[in-house]
Amino acid sequence: MAYTRKDVSTLTRTEKRRFVKAMLEVKRRGEYDEFVRTHIEYYTSDGEDDLRTAHMAPSFLPWHRQFLLDLEKALRRVDASVSVPYWDWTRDRTTTSAPWTADLLGGTGRRSDRQVMTGPFAYAEGNWRIKVGVTDEEFLTRDLGRARDPIQLPTKADLERALKDPVYDASPWDSTVGKGFRNKLEGWGSGRGSASWQNHNRVHRWVGGAMVGGASVNDPVFWMHHAFVDLVWSRWQRRHREHRYLPAKPPAPGSAQYRRVVARHEKLPPWDVTPDQLEDHGRIYRYA
Amino acid sequence: MVVGVGGVPVGAAGDEDAGGTRRGVLRGLMVAAAGAALVPVALAAWPEETDGKNTDVRAGDGIFEETYRGRLIRGVPIPSPEQEAGDVDWHVTVDGRPLHLMRRADGSWLSMVDHYAPAPGHLDGGAHGVHA
Repeated sequence: MAYTRKDVSTLTRTEKRRFVKAMLEVKRRGEYDEFVRTHIEYYTSDGEDDLRTAHMAPSFLPWHRQFLLDLEKALRRVDASVSVPYWDWTRDRTTTSAPWTADLLGGTGRRSDRQVMTGPFAYAEGNWRIKVGVTDEEFLTRDLGRARDPIQLPTKADLERALKDPVYDASPWDSTVGKGFRNKLEGWGSGRGSASWQNHNRVHRWVGGAMVGGASVNDPVFWMHHAFVDLVWSRWQRRHREHRYLPAKPPAPGSAQYRRVVARHEKLPPWDVTPDQLEDHGRIYRYA
Repeated sequence: MVVGVGGVPVGAAGDEDAGGTRRGVLRGLMVAAAGAALVPVALAAWPEETDGKNTDVRAGDGIFEETYRGRLIRGVPIPSPEQEAGDVDWHVTVDGRPLHLMRRADGSWLSMVDHYAPAPGHLDGGAHGVHA
């Protein structure tokens, strides 16, 4: 039977407590840091020749869908009542609203070193040491809203610009694509400054600290953010029912994207599942 | 063990691709990060793009060195036979420690410390990374 992913602002005290407890246990077991490593390994960029799976590619959405499912399975091995809540950042937009409360994720980092000092993932609590990181700092860092030069989270209007595009993605299937839902949601824009990072990318930057770099998975908000991105994909599918994941067929030999993106019926590394198989999550979970 | 779409193993343990390839540099980075202080700098200054103010490019060998905010940034071009003429990879270090960089299709760069916004290639683009 399908389980439910809830809006993080609606979690009960008990649900929050159980979620946190399961996360800390997955970390303690050593499983959490494998997720951090996997995300680093699968971040390939489109200026290089490798296969792109997790980012700057059509499979950005199914990749993170499966990635989230794997983490959720790990959580549910600890506590079968737990699921990953989603953070609707078009609605919960302040540094003190959900999920930044002391009983869930804790708040922003302190000014001197951006170290998170509150909540269960603060280094001082002793249960969340950064083991796979970009620097040798062992503490979780955040800079919610980028205090020195403030930025805002994406708005409903920003999201709508992505949602109303009826085509899933377009050639060359990378971060330069100006049309299609996927890149508008992933958020690679042209030019410089804040216009060049939208929606999903913007949220990573808004949180700041660990969430900005390659080891972004170190912040548990990563999962709540991607659960919302995942939900937005589901909303797009419902709005444009006749439109499916693209590309349907792999780019041909001789094309610039040959073997660099995953087509609808190809296996999506590191898993054996295809984007087609990941398009419908209804038998596994639903969003409340 | 991970298999890419074309059946080619990627990222397998023991994959000896040390040197300029992305995964080799990344593994070096992870090893260096254990116990070493990798500085949180998003590097984006390249010889062709600087305004000449802080630059100290050693003529003739393509190596780029610059002190920025007290840190020595050094870029060594890595020639690669299969690349087009004029297209180089860079091995970049900050205070001697490798900073992993990825090239984007539009010509900008991503560093390990900033994966979600491009650094365009000017020093001011990298400056906000220093503040990160």
